[in-house]
Amino acid sequence: MPDSMSTSSTYDVIIVGSGAGGGMAAYNLTKAGAKCLMLEAGGWYDAAKDSKWLEWQYNAPHRGGGDYTSPMNYFLAADGGWQVPGEPYLNARGTDWMWFRARMLGGRTNSWGRISLRNGPYDFKPYDRYGNGFNWPIGYEDLAPYYDRTEELIGVFGSKEGLENLPDGKFLPPPAPRCYELLLQQASRKLHIPCIPSRLAVLTRPLNGRPECHYVSQCGRACRMGSNFSSPVVLLLPARETGNLEIRTGAMAREILTGPDGRATGVSYIDKKTRKEVQVHGKVVVLAASSCETARLLLNSRSSRFPDGLANSSGMVGKYLMDTVMSTVSGFLPKLMDLPPHNCDGVGGMHLYMPWWGYQESVRRTLPFSRGYHIEISGSRQGMPMPGVLSGTQKLVGGGYGESLKENCRKLYGSFVTLSGRGEMIPNENSYCEVDNNVVDQWGIPVLKFHFQWGEQELRMARHMQETFQEIIHTAGGEVVQSYGAEQRWGISEGGQGIHEVGGVRMGDNPKDSVLNAHCQAWDCKNLFVADGAPFVGLANKNPTLTILAMAWRTSDYIADQVKKGNV
Amino acid sequence: MEKKSSGSGVRLERRNILKLMATLPAAALAPVTPFASSVAMAMPQEAGAQNDAAVYQPKVFHPHELRTIRILSDMILPADERSCSASEAGVPEFIDGWLHVKQGNLLDEIRGGLTWLDMASNRSFQFDFADCSIQRQKQILDRIAYPEKAAPEDASAVVFFNSLRDLVVSGFFTSRQGIRDLPYVGNQPQQQWTGCPPQVRAKLGLVDS
Repeated sequence: MPDSMSTSSTYDVIIVGSGAGGGMAAYNLTKAGAKCLMLEAGGWYDAAKDSKWLEWQYNAPHRGGGDYTSPMNYFLAADGGWQVPGEPYLNARGTDWMWFRARMLGGRTNSWGRISLRNGPYDFKPYDRYGNGFNWPIGYEDLAPYYDRTEELIGVFGSKEGLENLPDGKFLPPPAPRCYELLLQQASRKLHIPCIPSRLAVLTRPLNGRPECHYVSQCGRACRMGSNFSSPVVLLLPARETGNLEIRTGAMAREILTGPDGRATGVSYIDKKTRKEVQVHGKVVVLAASSCETARLLLNSRSSRFPDGLANSSGMVGKYLMDTVMSTVSGFLPKLMDLPPHNCDGVGGMHLYMPWWGYQESVRRTLPFSRGYHIEISGSRQGMPMPGVLSGTQKLVGGGYGESLKENCRKLYGSFVTLSGRGEMIPNENSYCEVDNNVVDQWGIPVLKFHFQWGEQELRMARHMQETFQEIIHTAGGEVVQSYGAEQRWGISEGGQGIHEVGGVRMGDNPKDSVLNAHCQAWDCKNLFVADGAPFVGLANKNPTLTILAMAWRTSDYIADQVKKGNV
Repeated sequence: MEKKSSGSGVRLERRNILKLMATLPAAALAPVTPFASSVAMAMPQEAGAQNDAAVYQPKVFHPHELRTIRILSDMILPADERSCSASEAGVPEFIDGWLHVKQGNLLDEIRGGLTWLDMASNRSFQFDFADCSIQRQKQILDRIAYPEKAAPEDASAVVFFNSLRDLVVSGFFTSRQGIRDLPYVGNQPQQQWTGCPPQVRAKLGLVDS
């Protein structure tokens, strides 16, 4: 249970947020001997007790239905969603930003997709390679040892492939493919698109006291057995065992406190139970509240010394917000009809995927866009049937009702596949968040207002996705069931919908155009660090969590080292 | 489940598996090893029987609407030799609860569609839809159940019926009975994962690579 409150002592480190970045910072800093206080805006969460693992949908309210992120979804281990009651956000005219928040211990690491891909060398130096976007102040070689350690700690399955800009990792063996995945692999190989084992933070072998996966495809419910990565199970449990970690839940951070010398002295938060302000003091402050919340905290930490918010002398806090470019095509593969019954659950995600294959074409400039995307695949036989199962049958069997419909449903079951792109966005200056002082949340804290625009490049990429996915479905002998054309902007997702929002507090070489240095330390405030996705300078087509974890490890190593040297 | 045998070999094969499943207690599908007992400790208890239609208090539907929804549910997915009807699987109650919490205009669409059905039925037969013979009910549904053949003036009712059909299908194939019908054979903890089974690979023409 959450420890009791004590405000008199000074902690070595205060960490805001308990997700991937905050969890990793706590894991390392407590092991280094630092007394840490973690603030979490949501409530306590213990997957071993709270997960809905193995529960049947027919025993759940509304059959556990609603789409993946809907509040109606009984199973998803996420307290929150696209809207959090009493905690609004605003969109500027013309923006439809979607902001997913999980207010709970561990945040979105309880329910995430577990896809764990390393950024490659190109991903850190996109300007050098493509002439657009920005270089990171670090390169792949800086992060590689931390990717190694992270994978060995959390457990990631995958296969050594030696592909361009897709570094192999310290992998557990991958699970064998599902039937529909083999069909799609066959088709994609005909088109010279690689289709390889996916890389997911799910245990296919026991690791560090955690058991192997049980293959019921329910990672999104959080794993009762601890067989996939989540911050509370893999990071916070060992951190608490050191005796150096105190966690306060229901603690909604409001602002970072600073002293007369401009250094951070602690954090002010609103205790959600009492609605009272509490001030806690620490020698170092680590922000890992999620990219946008971290930017919001800095912008709300205003004083006469920092009128535009803390660490914002560059004016860059909130800027260059990014999200993954997504577009989806679904198809019907007649070969998959009427198959012998078989268990298609597997892990809670894809066993195969298609990494980006066009790096050389990009160099030759034969593609209508720079950067790239990977393809995530899913099939309708995987996992427990949920509301929405077999919907849209009229498109395939012409409608109807009665015994023939029932028989058609049985035949159609499991014969649908979905291909969904995850593409790299070029950061642009039209995409940012700012604080709107006219609107506060129920805790009295000014809220964020979002501005977001895809560029022409992202739209061209979405079009390429649509065309490629349709080609794959046709090559697999299938029919396209749902696709998007020019009038639907090629099905491009809304900003934020990818739930990969990063940037906003970017790192860099120059204090004039970045907030943090190459160690995620604020240029303007030496004892303030950021350990979530906010420091990202770009967003590769690789899902960000593994990089957040590796960066947080690197940042916390640096903090421990600097503290030892007496530099912060 | 009756043992009537007709149709293709694949269907027979499925039925054999269903029969097998029906004779097995659920726990027997999981491996009987120390592994299974450790998993069993983490497993939630299954709730008891539910959906007692006799005492169900609808959340959005009026009694007449619910009665019509029951008739429609069973016309869309009737009982056959493999499984029960939609209403026996609790589909009308599922739809009522779903429309109660679902945002957007789906409730209006379904309720408006029910009104259309009574209107069409009264115009043709001077009775509400629910009070017509099954033959007349089918006559009305045939106007809107086949989108490509429907008359332009029935277009909005076609949209309604597409949505209702999806709701009934969703509700049935997420019910205990519908799961067995498909059959969905997962949600059983596995000691190891072996991938696409050989007999399915063979049917798909996939050779080991």
